Amino acid sequence: MALKTMLYHFCQWCNASPWGHGVRDSVWLFPFVEIFHLLALGVLGGTLLLVNLRLLGFRFPSEPVAELAEDVKPWMLGSLAVMLVSGFFLFCTEAVKMYGSPAFRFKMIFLFLAVVFTFTIHRKFATSDDARFSRFSRSVAAVVSLILWACVGLGGRAIGYYGS
Amino acid sequence: MWFANFLQWLHDTQLSTTMRESIWAEPLVETIHVLTLTLFLGFAVLLDLRLLGVCLRRRKMSEVLAQLNPFLFVGFAIMVASGLLLFTGDPPAFWGTIFFKVKMIFLILAGLNVLIFNATIGRSVAQWDLAPKTPQAAKVAAVVSIVLWVAIVAAGRAIAYALPPP
Repeated sequence: MALKTMLYHFCQWCNASPWGHGVRDSVWLFPFVEIFHLLALGVLGGTLLLVNLRLLGFRFPSEPVAELAEDVKPWMLGSLAVMLVSGFFLFCTEAVKMYGSPAFRFKMIFLFLAVVFTFTIHRKFATSDDARFSRFSRSVAAVVSLILWACVGLGGRAIGYYGS
Repeated sequence: MWFANFLQWLHDTQLSTTMRESIWAEPLVETIHVLTLTLFLGFAVLLDLRLLGVCLRRRKMSEVLAQLNPFLFVGFAIMVASGLLLFTGDPPAFWGTIFFKVKMIFLILAGLNVLIFNATIGRSVAQWDLAPKTPQAAKVAAVVSIVLWVAIVAAGRAIAYALPPP
Protein backbone atom coordinates (compact mmCIF):
# COMPACT_ATOMS: atom_id res chain seq x y z
CA MET A 1 0.00 0.00 0.00
CA ALA A 2 2.78 2.39 0.99
CA LEU A 3 4.61 1.74 -2.27
CA LYS A 4 1.52 2.70 -4.27
CA THR A 5 1.16 5.93 -2.34
CA MET A 6 4.85 6.72 -2.83
CA LEU A 7 4.54 6.09 -6.55
CA TYR A 8 1.47 8.30 -6.77
CA HIS A 9 3.22 11.11 -4.91
CA PHE A 10 6.20 10.71 -7.24
CA CYS A 11 3.85 11.05 -10.24
CA GLN A 12 2.27 14.15 -8.74
CA TRP A 13 5.71 15.65 -8.13
CA CYS A 14 6.77 14.96 -11.72
CA ASN A 15 3.55 16.43 -13.04
CA ALA A 16 4.06 19.62 -11.06
CA SER A 17 7.76 19.93 -11.88
CA PRO A 18 9.07 22.90 -13.92
CA TRP A 19 10.00 20.66 -16.84
CA GLY A 20 6.63 18.87 -16.65
CA HIS A 21 4.93 22.23 -17.00
CA GLY A 22 7.39 23.46 -19.58
CA VAL A 23 7.01 20.54 -21.98
CA ARG A 24 3.26 20.32 -21.43
CA ASP A 25 2.56 23.98 -22.01
CA SER A 26 4.77 24.39 -25.07
CA VAL A 27 3.27 23.64 -28.47
CA TRP A 28 6.48 22.43 -30.04
CA LEU A 29 8.51 21.05 -27.11
CA PHE A 30 6.48 17.86 -26.68
CA PRO A 31 6.77 16.78 -30.35
CA PHE A 32 10.45 17.80 -30.24
CA VAL A 33 11.16 15.50 -27.29
CA GLU A 34 8.99 12.79 -28.82
CA ILE A 35 11.04 12.84 -32.02
CA PHE A 36 14.23 12.24 -30.03
CA HIS A 37 12.45 9.34 -28.34
CA LEU A 38 11.51 7.93 -31.76
CA LEU A 39 14.98 8.39 -33.30
CA ALA A 40 16.68 6.79 -30.29
CA LEU A 41 14.18 3.95 -30.60
CA GLY A 42 15.42 3.40 -34.14
CA VAL A 43 19.08 3.26 -33.13
CA LEU A 44 18.43 1.12 -30.03
CA GLY A 45 16.29 -1.26 -32.08
CA GLY A 46 18.99 -1.52 -34.72
CA THR A 47 21.76 -2.41 -32.27
CA LEU A 48 19.60 -4.93 -30.41
CA LEU A 49 18.41 -6.52 -33.65
CA LEU A 50 21.96 -6.80 -34.92
CA VAL A 51 23.23 -8.63 -31.84
CA ASN A 52 20.14 -10.83 -31.56
CA LEU A 53 20.19 -11.76 -35.24
CA ARG A 54 23.83 -12.75 -34.79
CA LEU A 55 22.94 -14.87 -31.74
CA LEU A 56 20.29 -16.55 -33.89
CA GLY A 57 22.91 -17.08 -36.58
CA PHE A 58 21.05 -15.12 -39.25
CA ARG A 59 23.51 -12.25 -39.71
CA PHE A 60 27.33 -11.94 -39.71
CA PRO A 61 27.70 -15.67 -39.04
CA SER A 62 31.45 -15.58 -39.47
CA GLU A 63 32.03 -12.74 -37.01
CA PRO A 64 32.38 -13.35 -33.26
CA VAL A 65 29.30 -12.02 -31.52
CA ALA A 66 31.47 -10.48 -28.79
CA GLU A 67 33.16 -8.20 -31.31
CA LEU A 68 29.86 -7.14 -32.89
CA ALA A 69 28.36 -6.44 -29.48
CA GLU A 70 31.46 -4.50 -28.44
CA ASP A 71 31.30 -2.42 -31.64
CA VAL A 72 27.67 -1.34 -31.18
CA LYS A 73 27.73 -1.06 -27.38
CA PRO A 74 28.36 2.74 -27.24
CA TRP A 75 25.42 3.32 -29.60
CA MET A 76 23.18 0.93 -27.71
CA LEU A 77 23.95 2.59 -24.38
CA GLY A 78 23.72 6.08 -25.85
CA SER A 79 20.37 5.51 -27.49
CA LEU A 80 19.03 3.80 -24.36
CA ALA A 81 20.08 6.83 -22.32
CA VAL A 82 18.34 9.18 -24.78
CA MET A 83 15.21 7.01 -24.60
CA LEU A 84 15.16 7.04 -20.80
CA VAL A 85 15.75 10.79 -20.53
CA SER A 86 13.28 11.75 -23.29
CA GLY A 87 10.81 9.20 -21.93
CA PHE A 88 11.06 10.75 -18.48
CA PHE A 89 10.29 14.22 -19.88
CA LEU A 90 7.32 12.86 -21.82
CA PHE A 91 6.15 11.06 -18.67
CA CYS A 92 6.33 14.24 -16.62
CA THR A 93 3.85 16.04 -18.84
CA GLU A 94 1.05 13.71 -17.75
CA ALA A 95 2.52 11.68 -14.92
CA VAL A 96 -0.66 11.37 -12.90
CA LYS A 97 -2.57 10.15 -15.94
CA MET A 98 0.20 7.62 -16.60
CA TYR A 99 -0.12 6.36 -13.03
CA GLY A 100 -3.61 5.18 -13.89
CA SER A 101 -2.75 3.84 -17.33
CA PRO A 102 -2.58 0.04 -17.66
CA ALA A 103 -0.64 0.39 -20.92
CA PHE A 104 1.98 2.56 -19.24
CA ARG A 105 2.39 0.13 -16.33
CA PHE A 106 2.74 -2.72 -18.82
CA LYS A 107 5.45 -0.80 -20.64
CA MET A 108 7.35 0.03 -17.44
CA ILE A 109 7.25 -3.54 -16.16
CA PHE A 110 8.60 -4.84 -19.46
CA LEU A 111 11.16 -2.04 -19.67
CA PHE A 112 12.47 -3.10 -16.27
CA LEU A 113 12.54 -6.78 -17.29
CA ALA A 114 14.15 -6.00 -20.65
CA VAL A 115 16.89 -3.83 -19.17
CA VAL A 116 17.67 -6.34 -16.40
CA PHE A 117 17.72 -9.21 -18.89
CA THR A 118 19.92 -7.31 -21.35
CA PHE A 119 22.55 -6.40 -18.77
CA THR A 120 22.69 -9.80 -17.09
CA ILE A 121 21.83 -13.03 -18.91
CA HIS A 122 21.80 -11.58 -22.45
CA ARG A 123 25.16 -9.91 -21.86
CA LYS A 124 26.72 -13.28 -21.04
CA PHE A 125 25.64 -14.62 -24.41
CA ALA A 126 26.61 -11.47 -26.28
CA THR A 127 30.15 -11.48 -24.91
CA SER A 128 31.14 -15.11 -25.32
CA ASP A 129 32.35 -17.38 -28.08
CA ASP A 130 30.00 -19.51 -30.09
CA ALA A 131 31.55 -22.59 -28.51
CA ARG A 132 30.63 -21.64 -24.95
CA PHE A 133 26.84 -21.99 -25.23
CA SER A 134 24.66 -24.25 -27.35
CA ARG A 135 23.04 -22.88 -30.49
CA PHE A 136 19.68 -23.53 -28.87
CA SER A 137 20.35 -21.54 -25.70
CA ARG A 138 21.80 -18.65 -27.72
CA SER A 139 18.64 -18.58 -29.84
CA VAL A 140 16.42 -18.64 -26.75
CA ALA A 141 18.32 -15.70 -25.28
CA ALA A 142 17.90 -13.77 -28.54
CA VAL A 143 14.18 -14.54 -28.81
CA VAL A 144 13.53 -13.61 -25.15
CA SER A 145 15.36 -10.32 -25.69
CA LEU A 146 13.36 -9.56 -28.83
CA ILE A 147 10.05 -10.40 -27.14
CA LEU A 148 10.79 -8.33 -24.02
CA TRP A 149 11.79 -5.26 -26.03
CA ALA A 150 8.88 -5.74 -28.46
CA CYS A 151 6.52 -5.66 -25.47
CA VAL A 152 8.07 -2.36 -24.37
CA GLY A 153 7.48 -0.95 -27.85
CA LEU A 154 3.94 -2.31 -28.06
CA GLY A 155 3.18 -0.97 -24.58
CA GLY A 156 4.40 2.42 -25.67
CA ARG A 157 2.10 2.33 -28.68
CA ALA A 158 -0.81 1.18 -26.54
CA ILE A 159 -0.52 4.23 -24.27
CA GLY A 160 -1.84 6.34 -27.10
CA TYR A 161 -4.87 4.14 -27.57
CA TYR A 162 -5.61 2.86 -24.07
CA GLY A 163 -3.72 5.36 -21.94
CA SER A 164 -6.68 7.04 -20.35
CA MET B 1 -7.21 19.16 -60.37
CA TRP B 2 -7.35 15.55 -61.49
CA PHE B 3 -5.13 14.65 -58.54
CA ALA B 4 -7.61 16.12 -56.06
CA ASN B 5 -10.32 14.04 -57.76
CA PHE B 6 -8.13 10.94 -57.49
CA LEU B 7 -7.58 11.55 -53.78
CA GLN B 8 -11.30 11.97 -53.25
CA TRP B 9 -12.01 8.79 -55.24
CA LEU B 10 -9.48 6.96 -53.06
CA HIS B 11 -11.16 8.36 -49.98
CA ASP B 12 -14.47 6.88 -51.06
CA THR B 13 -13.20 3.34 -51.61
CA GLN B 14 -14.01 0.48 -49.23
CA LEU B 15 -10.35 0.17 -48.22
CA SER B 16 -10.19 3.80 -47.18
CA THR B 17 -13.44 3.55 -45.26
CA THR B 18 -12.23 0.44 -43.43
CA MET B 19 -8.97 2.14 -42.45
CA ARG B 20 -10.93 5.08 -41.13
CA GLU B 21 -13.77 3.37 -39.36
CA SER B 22 -12.40 0.05 -38.15
CA ILE B 23 -11.32 0.10 -34.52
CA TRP B 24 -8.30 -2.10 -35.07
CA ALA B 25 -7.12 -1.41 -38.65
CA GLU B 26 -5.39 1.93 -38.21
CA PRO B 27 -3.78 1.10 -34.82
CA LEU B 28 -2.48 -2.19 -36.22
CA VAL B 29 -1.03 -0.64 -39.39
CA GLU B 30 0.43 2.33 -37.52
CA THR B 31 2.03 0.02 -34.94
CA ILE B 32 3.62 -1.99 -37.76
CA HIS B 33 4.80 1.25 -39.38
CA VAL B 34 6.37 2.60 -36.19
CA LEU B 35 7.92 -0.66 -34.95
CA THR B 36 9.34 -1.56 -38.39
CA LEU B 37 11.06 1.79 -38.07
CA THR B 38 13.33 0.18 -35.46
CA LEU B 39 14.40 -2.38 -38.04
CA PHE B 40 14.84 0.02 -40.90
CA LEU B 41 16.13 3.16 -39.22
CA GLY B 42 18.36 1.18 -36.89
CA PHE B 43 20.08 -0.71 -39.69
CA ALA B 44 20.23 2.37 -41.94
CA VAL B 45 21.94 4.33 -39.16
CA LEU B 46 24.37 1.47 -38.46
CA LEU B 47 25.23 1.34 -42.17
CA ASP B 48 25.74 5.10 -42.28
CA LEU B 49 27.89 4.97 -39.14
CA ARG B 50 30.05 2.32 -40.82
CA LEU B 51 30.33 4.57 -43.89
CA LEU B 52 31.49 7.34 -41.59
CA GLY B 53 33.95 4.94 -40.03
CA VAL B 54 32.72 5.32 -36.46
CA CYS B 55 31.01 1.98 -35.91
CA LEU B 56 31.65 -1.66 -36.87
CA ARG B 57 35.06 -0.55 -38.11
CA ARG B 58 36.55 -4.01 -37.93
CA ARG B 59 34.02 -5.35 -40.42
CA LYS B 60 34.64 -5.02 -44.13
CA MET B 61 32.40 -2.38 -45.73
CA SER B 62 31.27 -4.83 -48.41
CA GLU B 63 30.34 -7.35 -45.73
CA VAL B 64 28.36 -4.82 -43.70
CA LEU B 65 26.52 -3.82 -46.88
CA ALA B 66 25.86 -7.44 -47.79
CA GLN B 67 24.63 -8.35 -44.32
CA LEU B 68 22.40 -5.32 -43.71
CA ASN B 69 20.96 -4.72 -47.19
CA PRO B 70 18.44 -7.60 -47.28
CA PHE B 71 16.86 -6.40 -44.03
CA LEU B 72 16.96 -2.81 -45.24
CA PHE B 73 15.03 -3.80 -48.36
CA VAL B 74 12.44 -5.80 -46.41
CA GLY B 75 12.13 -3.08 -43.78
CA PHE B 76 11.72 -0.38 -46.43
CA ALA B 77 9.08 -2.45 -48.26
CA ILE B 78 7.06 -2.87 -45.05
CA MET B 79 7.40 0.85 -44.30
CA VAL B 80 6.13 1.77 -47.78
CA ALA B 81 3.25 -0.75 -47.67
CA SER B 82 2.11 0.28 -44.18
CA GLY B 83 2.64 3.93 -45.07
CA LEU B 84 0.47 3.60 -48.17
CA LEU B 85 -2.25 1.90 -46.13
CA LEU B 86 -2.13 4.71 -43.57
CA PHE B 87 -2.35 7.25 -46.38
CA THR B 88 -5.43 5.59 -47.87
CA GLY B 89 -7.13 6.16 -44.53
CA ASP B 90 -7.77 9.76 -45.52
CA PRO B 91 -5.90 10.81 -48.68
CA PRO B 92 -7.21 14.38 -48.93
CA ALA B 93 -6.47 15.09 -45.25
CA PHE B 94 -2.89 13.74 -45.43
CA TRP B 95 -2.16 15.47 -48.71
CA GLY B 96 -3.51 18.67 -47.18
CA THR B 97 -0.72 18.80 -44.60
CA ILE B 98 2.61 20.40 -45.52
CA PHE B 99 4.42 17.75 -43.45
CA PHE B 100 3.19 14.86 -45.59
CA LYS B 101 4.39 16.56 -48.78
CA VAL B 102 7.72 17.41 -47.15
CA LYS B 103 8.11 13.80 -45.97
CA MET B 104 7.50 12.50 -49.50
CA ILE B 105 10.06 14.90 -50.97
CA PHE B 106 12.63 13.83 -48.37
CA LEU B 107 11.88 10.16 -49.07
CA ILE B 108 12.54 10.69 -52.76
CA LEU B 109 15.79 12.50 -51.94
CA ALA B 110 16.80 9.64 -49.62
CA GLY B 111 16.16 7.17 -52.44
CA LEU B 112 18.21 9.30 -54.85
CA ASN B 113 21.03 9.36 -52.32
CA VAL B 114 21.07 5.57 -52.23
CA LEU B 115 21.01 5.34 -56.04
CA ILE B 116 23.83 7.86 -56.44
CA PHE B 117 25.91 6.07 -53.81
CA ASN B 118 25.46 2.70 -55.53
CA ALA B 119 26.25 4.16 -58.93
CA THR B 120 29.41 5.98 -57.87
CA ILE B 121 31.54 5.38 -54.78
CA GLY B 122 29.58 2.25 -53.93
CA ARG B 123 31.02 0.44 -56.93
CA SER B 124 34.54 0.56 -55.58
CA VAL B 125 33.66 -0.69 -52.11
CA ALA B 126 36.11 -3.58 -52.30
CA GLN B 127 38.96 -1.07 -52.57
CA TRP B 128 38.16 0.65 -49.28
CA ASP B 129 36.74 -2.37 -47.45
CA LEU B 130 39.10 -2.11 -44.53
CA ALA B 131 40.60 1.32 -45.13
CA PRO B 132 41.26 3.21 -41.89
CA LYS B 133 39.43 6.20 -43.36
CA THR B 134 36.47 5.82 -45.68
CA PRO B 135 36.38 7.96 -48.86
CA GLN B 136 34.97 11.47 -48.60
CA ALA B 137 32.13 10.67 -51.01
CA ALA B 138 30.99 7.80 -48.79
CA LYS B 139 31.00 10.06 -45.74
CA VAL B 140 28.92 12.66 -47.59
CA ALA B 141 26.38 10.01 -48.58
CA ALA B 142 26.19 8.83 -44.97
CA VAL B 143 25.65 12.32 -43.53
CA VAL B 144 23.02 13.15 -46.16
CA SER B 145 21.31 9.85 -45.38
CA ILE B 146 21.20 10.43 -41.62
CA VAL B 147 19.98 14.02 -41.99
CA LEU B 148 17.24 12.92 -44.39
CA TRP B 149 16.02 10.04 -42.21
CA VAL B 150 15.88 12.29 -39.15
CA ALA B 151 13.87 14.81 -41.17
CA ILE B 152 11.60 12.07 -42.51
CA VAL B 153 10.86 10.77 -38.99
CA ALA B 154 10.26 14.32 -37.72
CA ALA B 155 7.94 15.15 -40.63
CA GLY B 156 6.14 11.86 -40.13
CA ARG B 157 5.52 12.60 -36.48
CA ALA B 158 4.40 16.15 -37.30
CA ILE B 159 1.73 14.87 -39.71
CA ALA B 160 -0.33 13.60 -36.78
CA TYR B 161 -0.29 17.04 -35.21
CA ALA B 162 -1.29 18.77 -38.43
CA LEU B 163 -4.22 16.56 -39.36
CA PRO B 164 -7.66 18.08 -38.98
CA PRO B 165 -9.71 16.53 -36.17
CA PRO B 166 -11.78 13.54 -37.38
